[in-house]
Amino acid sequence: SSQLSSLPLQILLYVNGIYYIFYFLATLAMIIYKSQVFSYPDDFLAPDLAVLFLMAILEVPRLYLGFKGNLTEAEAPLGLSLGLTVGSVLLCVYLLLWQTYVLWADVLLNAVLLSAYGLESGLKVSAIAAFVS
Amino acid sequence: PADTRDAAQARVRSPPAPVTDVARLCVCDLLVAQCDINCCCDPDCSAEDFSLFTTCSVPVVIGDSQLCSQKAAVYSLDVEANPPERIFKLIDQVNPSIFCIHATNYKQALYLKSPEIPTPENFDQLLDKFGGATFSAEPDSWNLDTDAQNPPEANETSRYEYGVPVQTEDAFLRLPSPVVSSWCSDANPAGFLVNQATKCIRSVSVEKCDSIQALSMLFYINSSILAVPKSSQMVNITVQSIVVQSLNGMRTLLSSSDVLRLPTVSDELCINAVLGVNYHITHTDTGEIIEAAAAFVLGAISREALSIEQSFKISFTQENTQPVPLSGNPGYVVGLPVRAGFQPQGYPFPAAFSFNFPQLCVTSGIIQSSNKHSQLTILHSTSTQDCLAAQGARAPVLFGYNMVSGCKLRITAAMKCQPLAQTLLDVLKGQSFPEYVASFGNSQAQDVLDWVPITQLHISEQMFSHTLQSSCQIPVSLGIEVKWTKYGSLVNPQARIVNVTATITTTTLKQLPSGRERIIPITSSVVFTDISSPAEPSYKAWPTINIKLPFDFFYPFV
Repeated sequence: SSQLSSLPLQILLYVNGIYYIFYFLATLAMIIYKSQVFSYPDDFLAPDLAVLFLMAILEVPRLYLGFKGNLTEAEAPLGLSLGLTVGSVLLCVYLLLWQTYVLWADVLLNAVLLSAYGLESGLKVSAIAAFVS
Repeated sequence: PADTRDAAQARVRSPPAPVTDVARLCVCDLLVAQCDINCCCDPDCSAEDFSLFTTCSVPVVIGDSQLCSQKAAVYSLDVEANPPERIFKLIDQVNPSIFCIHATNYKQALYLKSPEIPTPENFDQLLDKFGGATFSAEPDSWNLDTDAQNPPEANETSRYEYGVPVQTEDAFLRLPSPVVSSWCSDANPAGFLVNQATKCIRSVSVEKCDSIQALSMLFYINSSILAVPKSSQMVNITVQSIVVQSLNGMRTLLSSSDVLRLPTVSDELCINAVLGVNYHITHTDTGEIIEAAAAFVLGAISREALSIEQSFKISFTQENTQPVPLSGNPGYVVGLPVRAGFQPQGYPFPAAFSFNFPQLCVTSGIIQSSNKHSQLTILHSTSTQDCLAAQGARAPVLFGYNMVSGCKLRITAAMKCQPLAQTLLDVLKGQSFPEYVASFGNSQAQDVLDWVPITQLHISEQMFSHTLQSSCQIPVSLGIEVKWTKYGSLVNPQARIVNVTATITTTTLKQLPSGRERIIPITSSVVFTDISSPAEPSYKAWPTINIKLPFDFFYPFV
C-alpha cells in the first residue's frame, strides 16, 4: 500500500490527547489536595506547579506536530514532535520522582503517561524511518 | 582552655539527632534507668517486670500513618503463657488508600523541625522572629512593634478620645501640676474628658514678676485649642471671669473680664499675678471641642514671698447638658457614690395640666443633694466610738463596696426610751435619709421611673422572753441591702440597681437598776448583692423575604 502514515501512531496520539486532559486535571486537583492536607510551603509548591503547567504548554504543539507530521507523511514535524516528547518525558520523570509529595495515585498516572510517551516515541521513529526511505 | 571552650560550644551548637527508628522509640519510657509500669517498650524492663504488667499502655509505635508502607513496632502481652511475657513484632504497615504518600522530597513534612540553637551570631535574628507577641515568617514586612507608641503621635482618629491630650497650635493645653515634688511643672498636658484639679508651688520674685511667664494671664490663653486633633480648626480660649484676691485673702469679682490684666510691679507688690486658673471646655458628643473658657484668680505678691501656690482646674461639659456628676454611664461604676434623692410630696398633677400650664409642667422629679457624696450615707465610725458624741459623721455609700460601721452606746438608768430611740434613728439614718435610689448611674432627675424606691423594714429582736416587760424598742442596727443586676449586652454589662431594702432592727430596752450602765453596740452595714440572672445569648431574627407584586400585576383580569 502506498500509505505510509502509521495508524497505531495516530490512534495513540489521539488517546494520548484525551488522557493528557484527564492527567492534567487530576494532578492539579491532587496538588491542591496536598497543599491543604500536608504542609506545603510556597517555595516547594511553586516549582511543582510550574512543571505541571510547562508540561501542558509543551503538550499542545507536540500533539499537533505529531498529527500533522503523521498525516502529511512529513518527517520534519514528526522529528520536532519527537524532540518535544523528550522534554515532556523529563518533566514527567520530575513529577514522578522529585515532586514534594508523591502519592500512590501520582505514581500510577505518571507511569501510564511515561509508557504512552515511550510507545509513541518508538512508533514515531519507525514512521520517520518509513517516510525517509 | 580555648579549644575546650570551642569544643563545648560546638557540642552546644548541634542539637541531638532526632530518633526515627520505631524500634527504638518509646513514648512511655519516662523514668531514666528504671522500669515504667505497663510500658512494654521500655528497654530498662526485664522479663520479670514484663510478667507483672497487666496491659501495654503503648501498643503500637508508628510514624506518619499517611505513608504507603512503613515499619511499625507492635507490643503486646501474652497473658496465656505462664509467666506472661511481652511480644515485640516489627511489621510493615500498609496504607491501602490511593492517596497515601509514596515518597516525599521534603524532609520536614513528616518530622518536627529541630529548633535552631541560639548562638551569639543568630540571637538577634531569632529574637526578631520569635520575640514578639506573634511569630511571623517575614519579620521585616509585618509591623511587630509591640512597644506602645506615644499616644499623641499614634492618634490618627478625627476626634478626641478619653485621656488623649488636648492639642493646641504649638503643643498641648498645659495644666501645671506638681511632679515628684510640689513645684509646678508646666509639662503636664490636660487629657480630654479628664477632670483634674491640681495645686502646686511656683517660685517667684517680686522684681522679675512681669517677666515670669507663668504669672501672666497671657500664658494660659494665648494658644488656641484645636477642635479635633491634627486639624486646622481653632477654638480660642475666652476669659470667662476674673476674680481679684487681695493680700488678706478677700476676693472680688471684676465686672468686666475682657481687659487683659498683666502682672505689674507697683510699690513693692506684684499685682495681677495669676493665682488660679479654672478651664471649662465644652465639647460635642462626637469628641470635638467647641468652646473653651478660662476663669482667673489674680492676686498680689508681696516682696517677702519667695513662692506662691497656684491652683488649676479643668472640667469638661458636653454641649446642651447640665454638668451633673454621674456615677456611671449608664451602669454604676464600682467606687462611685450611689445617687439617691426624694420625691416631693403633694404635687400629683395629672399630665393634662402640664400641657395647658407649661410653667407648671415640672411636677414630678427627684430632688437630690448637690453634694454627690451625701446622697446616700451611712454612719461613719469615729475614734471615740461613742454614738451620741459623733453625730453627723457620715460616709457615702459607694457602689460595690460593702461597708460595716458602728458605734457604742452607753445606756444609763436615767435615759428615757423615746428620745433615745429617736436619737439612735437619727444616728443610724442620718439627717436626710433618701426615699429613692437611681437605678442607673446616669438616671436623670426627671425620669421618675428610673429611680428605685427604698423599702423600709422593721425587725424587732426580742432579747429575752419577757415580752411584756416594756414596749419600748430602740433601733440597734441598720442594714441596707442593695440588689443589683448586670444589664445590657454580654460583652459590656452595665450595673443596674434593682432593689434597695433598709432594715432597722430594734430591740427592747431593759430597765436598768439605778447607777448601773450598759454598753450596747450599734451597727450599720451596706451589702451589695449581685442578682444577675445568667446571660442568654440571643440571635438576630432571620431576615424575611418581603416580595410584593405590583398592584396591577394581573392587569387585564383584575
